[in-house]
This record gives sequence, C-alpha cells and structure tokens, in this order.
Amino acid sequence: MTVAARLRAPGWYRAMLSVPLGIGFAFALVVPLRALSHYKPVVDGDAITTVALISTPLAFLIGIGCFDYWFRWASGAPTVPEDHSGHGARSWRDYFRVNTDHKVIGIQYIVTTFVFFIAGGIMAMLMRAELAAPGEQFVDSNTFNGLFSVHASLMIFLFIIPVFAGIANYVLPLMIGAPDMAFPRLNALSFWMLPMAGILMLASFFAPGGAFNTGWTSYAPLSVDMPLGQTFFNVAVQFAGASSVATALNFLVTIVTMRAPGMTFWRMPLLVWANFTTSLLVVIATPFIAGSQFMVLLDRALHTDFFNAANGGDVIMYQHVFWFYSHPAVYIMMLPGFGIISEVISTNARKPIFGYRMMAFSLMAIVILGFTVWAHHMFVSGMFPWLRVPMMITTMLIAVPTGIKIFSWLATLWRGVIHLRTPMLFALGFITMFTLGGISGVMLAVIPVDIHVSDTYFVVAHIHYVLFGGSVFTIFAGIYHWFPKMTGRMYDETLGKVHFWLSFVFFNLTFGPMHLVGIDGMPRRVADYAQHFAFWNAFISVSSFFFGMSLLVFLYNIVTSWRHGPKAVANPWRAHTLEWQVSSPPPIFNFDEVPTVVGGPYEYGVPGAVHGVFKEKPAVKEPAVAAD
Amino acid sequence: MESASVALGHEHEQHGPPPANRSSRVDAQLLGMLLFIISEVMLFGAFFSAYFFIRVVAGNDWPAAGTALPIAVAGCNTAVLVSSSLTMHWALVSAKNGNRFGMRAGLLTTFLLGATFLAVQINEYVHLGFAIGDSAQATIFYGLTGLHGAHVTVGLLLLSMATIRAFRGHFSPTEHRGVEVPGIYWHFVDVMWIIVYTTLYVL
Ligand code: HEM
Ligand SMILES: [Cu+2]
Repeated sequence: MTVAARLRAPGWYRAMLSVPLGIGFAFALVVPLRALSHYKPVVDGDAITTVALISTPLAFLIGIGCFDYWFRWASGAPTVPEDHSGHGARSWRDYFRVNTDHKVIGIQYIVTTFVFFIAGGIMAMLMRAELAAPGEQFVDSNTFNGLFSVHASLMIFLFIIPVFAGIANYVLPLMIGAPDMAFPRLNALSFWMLPMAGILMLASFFAPGGAFNTGWTSYAPLSVDMPLGQTFFNVAVQFAGASSVATALNFLVTIVTMRAPGMTFWRMPLLVWANFTTSLLVVIATPFIAGSQFMVLLDRALHTDFFNAANGGDVIMYQHVFWFYSHPAVYIMMLPGFGIISEVISTNARKPIFGYRMMAFSLMAIVILGFTVWAHHMFVSGMFPWLRVPMMITTMLIAVPTGIKIFSWLATLWRGVIHLRTPMLFALGFITMFTLGGISGVMLAVIPVDIHVSDTYFVVAHIHYVLFGGSVFTIFAGIYHWFPKMTGRMYDETLGKVHFWLSFVFFNLTFGPMHLVGIDGMPRRVADYAQHFAFWNAFISVSSFFFGMSLLVFLYNIVTSWRHGPKAVANPWRAHTLEWQVSSPPPIFNFDEVPTVVGGPYEYGVPGAVHGVFKEKPAVKEPAVAAD
Repeated sequence: MESASVALGHEHEQHGPPPANRSSRVDAQLLGMLLFIISEVMLFGAFFSAYFFIRVVAGNDWPAAGTALPIAVAGCNTAVLVSSSLTMHWALVSAKNGNRFGMRAGLLTTFLLGATFLAVQINEYVHLGFAIGDSAQATIFYGLTGLHGAHVTVGLLLLSMATIRAFRGHFSPTEHRGVEVPGIYWHFVDVMWIIVYTTLYVL
C-alpha cells in the first residue's frame, strides 16, 4: 500500500495522523474563544488540556476506523451489503484492528482489562510498600493519594466492570445460539472506548500537580478544587461509562431478539440471565455517574455553581447522584460473577442448579432493590437524618436475595459429584469469601456500626472481600472455565490449583487483618498511621506481596498454555450449554446451523436430558442411566 | 454438520453466518433506540436531581433574585417544537405509504422547525442577562436547557442524515427504519422539552 492509501484507510497509520489533529482542534477551539472573550492568558494550558482530553480520544477512534461505516451511511451513500471483512481474526494483528466479531472483541476486552488489572496491581504493591511501616517510606502523601485513586478507578472502571463485559461478549452469543451480537459495529466501538479511558487515567500521573487524588468517588467540592489531574478522571469516566452503556444495550437487544428457537427466557443459562439484569442496571444507572462527572467538569472548567455553596450550590447532591449510580454499580460488578458461578458450579457438581427460577427472580429483586439503598454510603455525610433508617432497612433487605443465591449454590453442591478443577476451586473460594464480605456489608448497614467504622480499614476490608474474594474470584473461575473454548487449548491444572491456593491463603492474610485495624480506628486513604498499627500493617504488606506474586503463576499458566497447551476438545467439561456444542475455538460464525433448544441448560445427571440439538448431530446428551 | 468443516471454520467465511433466529417480534433497532432513550432519560434525571437539590432542598429563590425567565417566548418556542413532532409523524406515515413528496417535505420541515427552536434558544441565552456562573439557579437553568439543546443538536444531526438519504432516493414502504428511528429520538427530545419547560419556566 502507498503511504497515502495507508493514511486514508482505517487503522493505526490514520490514527497517528488523527491524534495530532485532535490536539490541534483543542487549540483551534480554545485559543480564539478566549481571545474573543478577552480572557487572560489567551493560551491557557488547563483549558486546552480539558478540551484535548475529549477531542483526542475521539480523533483516535475516528482514525482507527470506529465510525467509518456510520459516516458513509450519514453521507447518504448507498448501503453496502456486509462483506464480513472486519470479522474474525486470522493472525494476532487482527486483534489490533476494529473487528466486529464478538469472539475477537471478547478477547480484546479480556486482554486489555488484564493489562489495566496489572497496572492497578502494581500500584497496590507500591501502596503496601509505603504502608509497611509508619512514616514516609517511598512516596509522599500526594503521590500516595494519586496511587490509591488511580488504583481504585482502574480496578473498578477498567477491570471488573469491563472484564465481565468481555467474558460475556465471548460466551453470551454462543450460549443463546446467535451468530454474533445484535450491533457488531457498536460492539467494536464499545471496546475501543475502553483503552481511551484507561490511558487517560494512567496519563493523569503526568499532569502538573500529579494524578487525580480524590479517590474513585471524587467527592465534590474537593474534586472541583484539585489540580488538572482530576479532569483526566472526569473525562475518563465518561468514556468508560459510554462504553459500558453501549455494551449493555447491545446485550439486552441480543438477548431479546436473537435467541435460538426454543430458547425461552426460562431455558436461558444463568449467565445470560445475569448479564440481562446487569445490563438493565447499567442502562438505567450509568447516566447518573456521567451526570455527576459532567457537573464537576462544568464547575471546574466554566466555574458554574453546582457545588459552590456560597452561590447556592449543594455539595451533598454530588454524593446522592454519585451513589445513585455507584451502589447499583457494586451489583454491576457482582451479578455477572453470580452468573459465572452458576455455570461453573452446576457443571462441576454434575447437578441441576437448585431453584433455577428463584435464581433468576433474585437477580431481578437485586436490580430493583439496588436502586433503593444508595444513601447507606452517606450515613456520616450530613444528609437528611430521616433517610438513614429507611436506607438501613433496604440495605438489610437486599441481603435476602443475595442470600438466596448463596443457599441455592450450596444446595446445588449438596450430594453432587464434585470435580475439584481450578474453576470449581475458585467458585468455592468465591462462595466463602463473598459470604464474609456480605456479612461485613450487613454490619456496615447498621447505622451505629457504620458511624464507628466509616472511613476506616474496615470498609477497605469489606470492599476487598466482596470485590476481590467475590468478583475477581469469579473472573478467575470464568477465565479458567472458558479458557479451552476461547483458545482451543487446555490450561495447566496443577498451576491453576497452585494459583488458587496461593491467592486464597494470601488474600485472607492480606485483607482479614484489615477488619481488626479498622475496628481499632485506622483511617483509610492515608499514607501514614499511628505506631499502634505498625505490626498488623507490616504483616499485611508482606502478605500482600505474596498475594501479588500469585498472579504471576496465573499469567505464566495462561501465556504458556495459550501457546503450547494441549489441544482442547469441543466439550472438555461435558457441559450442556450451547457454547460447548461447537468446536474449540468456535467456527467463525459460531454455528453452521442454528441449534434448537429443547430443554433446560443444567439437566446434569437427569437421564436422557438434552439442552440443544442440531438437525444432524445431537448435542451432548446425558446417558439414559446416570453415569457420574 | 461434519466435524471437518467445524475445525476449518475459516473456510466458511464467504458464506456469512446462518441467519439469526428472530426470537422476538420487536425490531432490534427500535429496541436499541428505546433502551438508549431510557439511559438518556436517566441522564436528564441526574440533572433534575441537581435542580431538585438546588431549588427545593437548598431553598433558593427561583429564579435567582433580580433575574426573570422569558416564559412567553419560550412558550412560543415550545409550540414550534411540538409542531415539529407532528411533521415528523407526517414524514413517517408518508414513508410507510410510499409518498415520497410527503416524506421529504415532512423531514425537511421537521429539520427547519428544530433549527428554529435552537436559534430562538440561543437568542434567549444572549438576552437573558445572567451568566452560567452567576448563581446555582443560573447554573442549573443553563445546565438543563443546555443539555436539552445538545440533544436537539444530536436530533438535528440524525434528521439531516435521514433527510439527505430521503432526497437521495433511499427508503421505501418496506424499508423505512432510517426515518422511524430518528423520529422516535425526535419525539423524545420533544417530550423532554415539555418537562424542562414546565419545571424551569412555569412552576
Ligand atoms: C449484602 C451485600 C452488601 C451490603 C449489605 C453492603 C453494604 C455496604 C455499606 C453499608 C457500605 C458503606 C460503608 C461506608 O462507607 O461507611 C459499603 C461500602 C462498599 N461496598 Fe458494600 N455491601 C454489600 C455488597 C457489596 C458488593 C457485592 C460490592 C461489590 C461487588 C460492594 C462494594 C462496596 C464498595 C466498593 C464500598 C466502598 C465504597 C467507598 O469507596 O466508599 N458491596 N457496603
Ligand atoms: Cu452500597
């Protein structure tokens, strides 16, 4: 290709050209506007950066080719029939292009989010190094504030939320018997917005004044007064949020309109149910965080008065709007994991899920109740006092559907034929750790307890039990479970088990003691602490380094197995759901023929049960006499 | 389905996927637009929460002391926007009946009415006499009307695409989603304005 042709065709060359154009646009917009309005100085770094933070990622997305089809459409050009040229991957290079294949996008998502997981993990290690002893070790307190803020934001917005979208992207269309997602191009756009958000967050370290340092919650008015780094967060969240809304919309439409014949809602695997409910939460709640960050952005850039109490603004409003998203967001970070656990447990216990319909109903109950508890994060904020007790009650209520799920998994295990493979170990680890996190959650819901431990390490312990012992364990379970399907190779079982036991033990040694120092009053989000807490902090730091190391075992296992692992058969776990009825990895369009669903997804051990059938070849069928 | 062809999945490329099963009578694009509108409504919800806290919870005067909102002008503007919903409907009905003239004229008038609305709104901003940073009330007034104005702009963009395609001879009684989907968005922008107008100007 000639240089000119390369620069015109979508891809990295054009992106390299469009990025400087994006920055130039910011100059061209800001400088004349400031000159016209007689603002001094005319060339203002903060103002230009603020605009550039928005225009540059957009320019990149245009350059890489996310919008080409729509631009053509908008110009009124005749519609071209889809030639599937942007579909499927032939070499690793295809993973660096705008690809519309949900399987490619799924892997793009998972690999990208793991990169940010590692980045966030390194920051955690730095923080623990600083906290290993009282006083200042390696970083000053401003850098420390930046570290915990970027750590938390990356983990939440760039790892846990999108990695679930990635796993579901890969398996959900297969599970419901669809050839792809409903809107493949939107799907590609959703993916490409993610690295934009992550790079912005990481880039904030280079901003004058350091990275944003108001935590992932970015409370106003503090966030309004912070240096430029804060703007990186405000904009990054918009990109991550837009990505997550677009994916959720895509999942919902796919699930509603593209299920295989016979796949009624009551025959859908629970992973599909979980993503259906999560997507509802995303579509309804995410605009609230977008709104809250827009307001902070306006207060910062245009000096508006949303949070300026001197001019009639209301600061507590920020927390209401923020938590109206961010409490549902904790379920956005958990429900897809619930789905993964249901798949893993029933397959590896060779038993139908106990109370399948109850599992789906409890997901719906969590969606509804999830919108009624947000102010339990605000017990000490000075909000309306009358709102506290109602929020305490609803918060305790929401533990009921969550508890239903725990008991249902336990009942599924009961007298099952349990195969303790790595995904199953992670699933069992999840059940125990998440239950502990749920219990500390209910403790936090009790107003007097919360007032005592608010903003202490007890909250840090709670969130890590639910987010690491909960969500991240389900992610590991899911990655191991579908690894053969995604890569066509088997992972190393021994290394997988080593990874599980290392993470399980050191997870507890790291986060367990945080409950104690928290109740004792050690505040969270500080770089230094009283001598009194020295022992436990040293202990926690050492454990956390081992815990960090356990991730290396995982990465080694994944990388080497992906390259040289033994070839996987289509259905190594003898599972019933549809994704296991096609080859590993699946053919480019998933199914040569759309299967027909004739029964429930988890009828393990039920004599003669089948879930899906192809015209010519029956899918796995349980033997007439249960053999397990 | 022979296993050999499964292993060589790439061989199937040229054929494209088997058509997906249609498991619902709802059209995918319409459903997508509806879900998008739900999230848009929630975005307005976030700004209305700010409005509620600033006006009701903080108990500020409305509008801020010494300022006034042009209820009458904005009321006429409301009428302009509402009538554009009617012309939009006309365009869609014409498209469904194969009436090319009606479809083109309907889309074009809708576009022009929407543009008029936007122009009047900008003119109002110029003559209001208070700026966005003057008070929290000013902030949320500009915030909500500005958010709405941004939606009108997006709506106009969608309409202009539909109009261009209509004049280039696209759309037929069987294939008119390109008119229908922007139309739904336009009606949403309209209804939202009525709510914004009522809460900001009338109440
Ligand atoms: C039975 C279920 C749960 C209950 C009753 C519960 C309750 C609470 C309460 C009352 C707080 C506020 C503590 C404070 O700031 O003083 C809190 C904080 C938090 N919870 Fe939960 N929670 C539950 C489950 C979860 C789940 C499933 C997740 C995520 C997957 C989660 C993530 C968080 C996070 C991230 C925070 C800290 C927010 C911050 O940065 O301030 N929780 N939880
Ligand atoms: Cu919460």
